[in-house]
Amino acid sequence: MVGGLETMKFRRDATVSLAIAIIIVVAGAAVLSSRLFSGMTDDVEKNQFKLMQAIVETAFTDAENKALARADLIVDLPNVQRLFASRDRAGLLAELGGAYANQKARYGIDQAQFHVPPATSFLRLHDPAIFGDDLTVFRPMVVAVNRLREPAKGITIARNGPAIFGVTPVFDAGGKHLGSFEVGIDFGPLLASLKTAYALDLALFIDEQGLQDFANGIDPAVLSEENRVGRYICFKSTNAALTGDLVAPSDLAVVNEPVNYVREAQGLVRGVTLLPLNNSAGTPVGVIAVTSDFSGSRAAVNRSHVWQTLITLLSITILIGIVIVVIRGFLIRPLQVLGNRFERLNSDEALEPIEGAERFPQELQVFVRLYEKVRARRGGGSLPS
Amino acid sequence: MMARFPSLGALTRLLIVFAAFCAIHDAKAASGDFPRDKGLPVLVNVGVAFIEILGFDENAGTFEATVDLRVGWTDSRLARADVPANTPPETLRDVAAETRMKSIWLPPVVLSNQIGEASASAYGLRIFSDGRVELLRRVTARFTTDVDVGRFPFDHQKLNVAPALRGLTVAQAALRFDQSDIDFSRPARDAQLTGWSVGLVDLQSSTIPGWYNSSEDRVIATLSLERQPGLVVASIFIPLFASLLIPLLAIWLNFMKDGVFQVETHEMVNIIIGGLFTVIALNFTVYSTYVVLSVGDNTVNRLFALNYVTLAMALTVNILFARFNLIARIFQPYVQEQVYYLIMWAVPVAALSIAISLMLTAYV
Repeated sequence: MVGGLETMKFRRDATVSLAIAIIIVVAGAAVLSSRLFSGMTDDVEKNQFKLMQAIVETAFTDAENKALARADLIVDLPNVQRLFASRDRAGLLAELGGAYANQKARYGIDQAQFHVPPATSFLRLHDPAIFGDDLTVFRPMVVAVNRLREPAKGITIARNGPAIFGVTPVFDAGGKHLGSFEVGIDFGPLLASLKTAYALDLALFIDEQGLQDFANGIDPAVLSEENRVGRYICFKSTNAALTGDLVAPSDLAVVNEPVNYVREAQGLVRGVTLLPLNNSAGTPVGVIAVTSDFSGSRAAVNRSHVWQTLITLLSITILIGIVIVVIRGFLIRPLQVLGNRFERLNSDEALEPIEGAERFPQELQVFVRLYEKVRARRGGGSLPS
Repeated sequence: MMARFPSLGALTRLLIVFAAFCAIHDAKAASGDFPRDKGLPVLVNVGVAFIEILGFDENAGTFEATVDLRVGWTDSRLARADVPANTPPETLRDVAAETRMKSIWLPPVVLSNQIGEASASAYGLRIFSDGRVELLRRVTARFTTDVDVGRFPFDHQKLNVAPALRGLTVAQAALRFDQSDIDFSRPARDAQLTGWSVGLVDLQSSTIPGWYNSSEDRVIATLSLERQPGLVVASIFIPLFASLLIPLLAIWLNFMKDGVFQVETHEMVNIIIGGLFTVIALNFTVYSTYVVLSVGDNTVNRLFALNYVTLAMALTVNILFARFNLIARIFQPYVQEQVYYLIMWAVPVAALSIAISLMLTAYV
């Protein structure tokens, strides 16, 4: 003890100090590198979310354009103009019924309807028995088309359910406004085609109140408890069980803008994007959930964390090992041996030669020579040359 | 000159040719031409429900299951204008269904990954008054499937059943699935497979290359399975970790005093050689049971590699240090002493860290 303090033990303290320094530096570098890598992965996932959103938005825009193109094509037919001008419901049905059935069966056209201004149903090709009802309250797009006499497109909850509509005004050959015609594309085939093309799973959630108020023609089974998710009804889904695992009522509670999150379902990590669906007036009508398998990118991140941790551990082990070997092997152990030998000088014990002393560091050779000189004087050996 | 009667053999051949002709004629009559009145391609809906999973052979890449294949299409030639629209469909089962099937057009949907003949097959047929037809086929058969054991024992596998339209190009007939087919395609509530957790069924469309640059349509129904790793961990990974301890012991048991090893090298080498035979035996046992693990990169192969590398390292350390005193000769005995102390704890730390990392990379 010196002055009440324990004498520093270089053998231990130097090694520990260096080991701590190595651990701090290497672990710090690993954490920094890990954070950088995680940031890159986050960017990749953000891009994936953006891509999912862009795919759905583009597909919906395309569907709107297709609906409007079909509607435009129909209202340009002279026969259609003539029959509609004469309010010949049966004639229109006979003219377009077959074509509509084919379009429905093959191309996902779900609804087609003529309206007379301002927004009264004249003929539903998909439901010819129902007509004459006023659509003003829940079909603002039809009202707008008939008022402005300009085509419009968008998502709407109609009597026969939600669909992507293209509505166009109908004029006769003389340019007189007769009313409007709309084509509605079913979400089901659209979602299925996106699943096939992009391996996405999608689900369409529609506000239950809207369905109950306006969609009187839909199958009542759709409004069952099984399909209810909070205030929404899961109207279509490409994988209902998966959707059930990924989208909870709380997730749908507030979706005013795209919401992204990552969640595990069925043992796989999946990215979910919730996109609000608004009608042409900007009123929210539902949410579309898009999900993609993120397990690849997540597994890559987790694997990289594991490997980084391992590399860090091995680096620390190797560096501390080198420090120990250099400090203890080259310096401390020879010093210890020399110290033990010099300690024996005070006793009457016979002094033994130091094995391998010739390979001690050059800086210690002066002590080796001193020891050998003393040992030689005591008759234990020859004087060093 | 006597009239020459055909021999028995010639008669038999004639009968076979006649029977074959009749069979072909019947088949053509039964299949008829596909319904073109609504334009092409004819749209055929498919859904697949997994009723029972009877077995899954990972090594062969096959599984045996009972599945319900539902095929739906519209043939307006079968529509009956004389009955009300809400009339219940004509519903037929088994023999009655098969008899009726001979008189209508059926889409040539086959299970493209089925191996051999089905061990059981039954039909149900519903023909609606508007011409819609729904054919339900319950089939028990073996199917091929791809097996990926890269994440073994924390892996997921997919059991595929792939209905495909054979003989009709995508321009003539197309397979599709709608909400009803998606809802139909699911595992039975009580479907289970020992050692696996049964997940969901997913449907995906794809095509198969046909003749002359054409394609045939296919839908792949995939049932997800998640391996329950408990039993596998006990039977494979505990021995693998245990065998890893042998070379580590061969390093750790030796020790130095004043720069001199206290245990003879040959004793340590004996332990290492024993460890080598142990790993080889374990390797043989595991690969003979799980043949699929012997190919490709997976956790088991990596752990075996780690075992061999650790054995080689232990042998090298013992030979270089204890037998030849290599470090002592190059530097000095105290350096070798410190290097050996380092190896005594650093090699086990490194080996066990790598082994745990290999397991974690499979798990995450």
